[in-house]
Amino acid sequence: MEKTLKLIQSLSSTAEKVEAMDFTVAVAKDDLRKVAEKLKAEGWDYLINLTAVDNQENIEVVYHLSKSSDMEKLLVLKTKTEDMQNPIVETVCDLWESAGLYEREAYDFFGIRFLNNPDMRRLFLRPDWVGYPFRKDYDNTPNEKFSTSVHDVASMENVPSITLNHHGEIEEKNVNLFDNDEYIVNFGPQHPSTHGVLHLRISLDGENVKKIDPHFGYIHRGIEKMMESMTYPQMLFLTERLDYLCGSINRHALCMCVEKAMNIEVPKRAVYIRTIFDELNRIASHLLGWACMCNDMGSITSFIYGFRDREKIMDIFQETCGGRLMVNYYVIGGVAQDLHPNTVNRIKEFIPYLREMIKEYHTLFTGNPIARDRMTNCGFLSKEKAVALGMSGPNGRASGWHCDVRKVAPYAAYGEVNFDEVLHKGGDTIDRYMIRLEEIEQSLRIIEQLIDKLPDGDFKAKVPAIVKVPAGEYYQRVENARGDFGVYIKSTGEKSPYRIKFRSPSMVAVSGLDPICKGTKVADLIMIGGSLDYVIPCIDR
Amino acid sequence: MKTYFKNLFSGIWNLLQGMRITMRNAIRKNVTECYPEDRETARQFERFRGELIFDINENNEHKCIACGLCQMNCPNQSLQVVSKMVETEDGKKKKVLEAYNWDLSSCTFCGLCTSSCAPKAIKWTNFFEHAVFDKSKLVKELKGDSKPVEKKAAPAPAPKKSDDSQVQQ
Amino acid sequence: MDFELVNLISWIDESLRDLCGDASWAVSLIEYVLIAIAFLGLYCVLALILILLERKICADFQCRIGPNRVGPWGLCQPIADMFKILLKEIITLKNNDKFLFFTAPFLILAGSLGTFGALQFGKGLVGVDFNVGIFYMLAISSLGVIGILLAGWSSDNKYTLIGAMRSGAQLISYEISAGISILTMVLLGGSLNLTDLIEGQKDSWYLFQGHIPAIIAFIIYLIAGHAETNRGPFDLPEAESELCAGYHTEYSGITFGFFYLAEYLNMFIIAGIGTMVFLGGWQPFHINYEWASGFNELMDYIPSYCWFVGKVFMLVLLSLWVRWSFPRLRIDQLLHLEWKILMPISLVNMLLMAGWVAYIAAQNN
Repeated sequence: MEKTLKLIQSLSSTAEKVEAMDFTVAVAKDDLRKVAEKLKAEGWDYLINLTAVDNQENIEVVYHLSKSSDMEKLLVLKTKTEDMQNPIVETVCDLWESAGLYEREAYDFFGIRFLNNPDMRRLFLRPDWVGYPFRKDYDNTPNEKFSTSVHDVASMENVPSITLNHHGEIEEKNVNLFDNDEYIVNFGPQHPSTHGVLHLRISLDGENVKKIDPHFGYIHRGIEKMMESMTYPQMLFLTERLDYLCGSINRHALCMCVEKAMNIEVPKRAVYIRTIFDELNRIASHLLGWACMCNDMGSITSFIYGFRDREKIMDIFQETCGGRLMVNYYVIGGVAQDLHPNTVNRIKEFIPYLREMIKEYHTLFTGNPIARDRMTNCGFLSKEKAVALGMSGPNGRASGWHCDVRKVAPYAAYGEVNFDEVLHKGGDTIDRYMIRLEEIEQSLRIIEQLIDKLPDGDFKAKVPAIVKVPAGEYYQRVENARGDFGVYIKSTGEKSPYRIKFRSPSMVAVSGLDPICKGTKVADLIMIGGSLDYVIPCIDR
Repeated sequence: MKTYFKNLFSGIWNLLQGMRITMRNAIRKNVTECYPEDRETARQFERFRGELIFDINENNEHKCIACGLCQMNCPNQSLQVVSKMVETEDGKKKKVLEAYNWDLSSCTFCGLCTSSCAPKAIKWTNFFEHAVFDKSKLVKELKGDSKPVEKKAAPAPAPKKSDDSQVQQ
Repeated sequence: MDFELVNLISWIDESLRDLCGDASWAVSLIEYVLIAIAFLGLYCVLALILILLERKICADFQCRIGPNRVGPWGLCQPIADMFKILLKEIITLKNNDKFLFFTAPFLILAGSLGTFGALQFGKGLVGVDFNVGIFYMLAISSLGVIGILLAGWSSDNKYTLIGAMRSGAQLISYEISAGISILTMVLLGGSLNLTDLIEGQKDSWYLFQGHIPAIIAFIIYLIAGHAETNRGPFDLPEAESELCAGYHTEYSGITFGFFYLAEYLNMFIIAGIGTMVFLGGWQPFHINYEWASGFNELMDYIPSYCWFVGKVFMLVLLSLWVRWSFPRLRIDQLLHLEWKILMPISLVNMLLMAGWVAYIAAQNN
């Protein structure tokens, strides 16, 4: 890492290392582009996250970078602009494709415009929204004059951008996304298979998809903004409302981030319980993902079977945690309650049952020639594209990208168990489909190993009554059922965070829809959407 | 030509395999939960967070000391502790609970209130049939006509005392 | 002792003739009206039965119970549904062709009713019977596709349009192989008249008479027929996970009810044609050997309409089983299956059948 620092300093004399938990380098705004290009060339090809922070006298942009070949490495690159009225930062979206949407989000919430980013529309909020709500000086008193009328379609397609002309002056441009004579179908926000309230505007040529323009924000709740006014224990319940299908894992990320920052050692029993419940949650999520994908392809019976078996996991959750979907189980320092006496037996009964059922799934659906024909050679995603889009998790692994955070940067009890990272080379829909079923088997393996070794002892560490995270910046990655989920906390030492940001693996999955689906049929789009397995509330936050 | 027929027949075979699975499941026991017929016998999990209630003992006494910690801890402001100061006989001032309002419609059942309640005055039950015809009925007053638990003399049961002392810290 | 309904019908006919005396036109008029009422009634009742059957069977395959609230075992559920659909508002759209929009459901219903009338429910229980009965059924059942196309086009909705276009491609393609496989059997029976065809299966059903070509034709007919009903793995025009509800997205109330009714009755009709052409219609199951004469007599005791309905429901059950087991095809796979697999096979199969028929004729001479 020192080498990287030297490299950065050779390009930018003002670059300096910042004391933080992760390796952080701050560079000047004007040098950012040079540094980014060099880092990309050096193999830092995976942009995990892009966060903007309003420090009141300046606005900071934080880039979390990693290498696709060596995911354990984490480099935090920071830059800032003092211009609060009209902040402009150069874009990196041509280097890392995933930056496109992140930069739109930063513009939406902080008003930072990114030079040369071809698409500077708002991402979540309406085009006619006034102000940038994540700025600290944003006036969030309810505006009674706010119009609730439907904004016209034209403003959705009108794409503004800023570039430098050859005089070095900033030039604003507006282009239309679609031609006038294109056949555009609104797919969502109310549609049976958008897995939430996603709105896709699809340009069709007969049955063939020409272009997809995703619109988010229909279920935007401002969770990150809400959290800025909540204490740490209070905000935990909101994490489960992000990606509600694997809520526990998200909650685990936030708990670990706070524990790491406060140096709380979690008792071993709690760590084991958390790992088991993470895996159960992953199984539940994959089962539902499988079921929904089958439903998207028209096999409703498989859908019901998936839900039937997921119900057993829900029962396990309910017995120990008292909740089903929103389990509210992990707390800072451990878990809320000890395991219920029945839980271990329930899990032990469940493992062979599910193995039997997975065989049935394979016979019923995987072996079905209709399904196989539809899934093979359809929706190809190359490894390079997956890395560029930041599409980690099962989707990335289906393209052969070794990106399981549980393997590359083991957390909780993952270092102590044997399991295989399921890798497929194909990158087709069938690989993404198979990988979920195979990961369920690996998760069962992990649970099987842990459930017998469950240590005795406390299930919760002693935590101060008022949780105050020491000032600084923290980032914690976990592998949730959809990929690399991350929590970024900037704390000033108060009892609520200064800025908190979640890295949503679903968002990158949706951003991959357009490149993957180009040229496929409408039916394939639905199927590929099912295979990418995104959850919209995680995107909208 | 050979592969054409091979694919054809293996395809038909696999289709039949799939049909075998559905038929096998047709014979299996149904998994539907017959609510409300099985209302009495339905499985209930003791930890299930269904409804917040006051832990009222057989003498119609509750343990709430109106400290307001639950209200402070609630992320959604769905709890409201109404209390007033009264003077006890020995001249000390003491908070007494007037009313305890729980707004079910904004509760997320996170359990921060029960876990922060030192005297264990509130607890969860399994009751889940919350449907009402009027939204205002979702705000429930939990105290009812119960009275605060009587402070016992010095050799009082140990657990209750320790509960009180915790709160005073 | 004979339970055939044809006795009842001839009794009605005779008593009407006695009543009216010379005015034979009045007899015909009354009988036409009676028959129409009987068919409409049967049509609706069958639809209700099929709807309930499908929901119950599908629930079984999915480890569920299915409708169980209205009446014992949910038996009255379809009646409740019917009233609900009748009472619902018919929503009219703003910028569409109203005439076509409301014509479409009637066209679909007309297509399916017309075919329904030509089914032979039992010995003498025939609504429409003339010398090109099969031809008539194939022709009139294709009316439905016009209705679907109109519905999709006139709804002024992109989803319905896609659904209608898919449906047009699908129905026209699959009519070919369904038609050819029926023609194969016509070759064997030597007549286009349904009564003759069924009469020809008195001793042994065509499925057995025709040996391998008949079995192949039967399988192809089942697949193609299933596709023609827009159900199961072939429900692309509706494709609820892709196109919401396909061509009938914008319909509500009874206009939607017509589509719904026609969909279920088409299932019955396709199974009915299959029964008449391959499984001997209302003819009982006979084993064509000397030693089985007792068994054959026993089979004869079961009334003919029971045989017909029984066979049809067997085929319907098969179609439900298929429907609830398989995922949906994609449009190119659908056309691939028809044009590259089913149609070539059925054409070759027809030649095979021709050879078989020639062989039998040579033997008989």
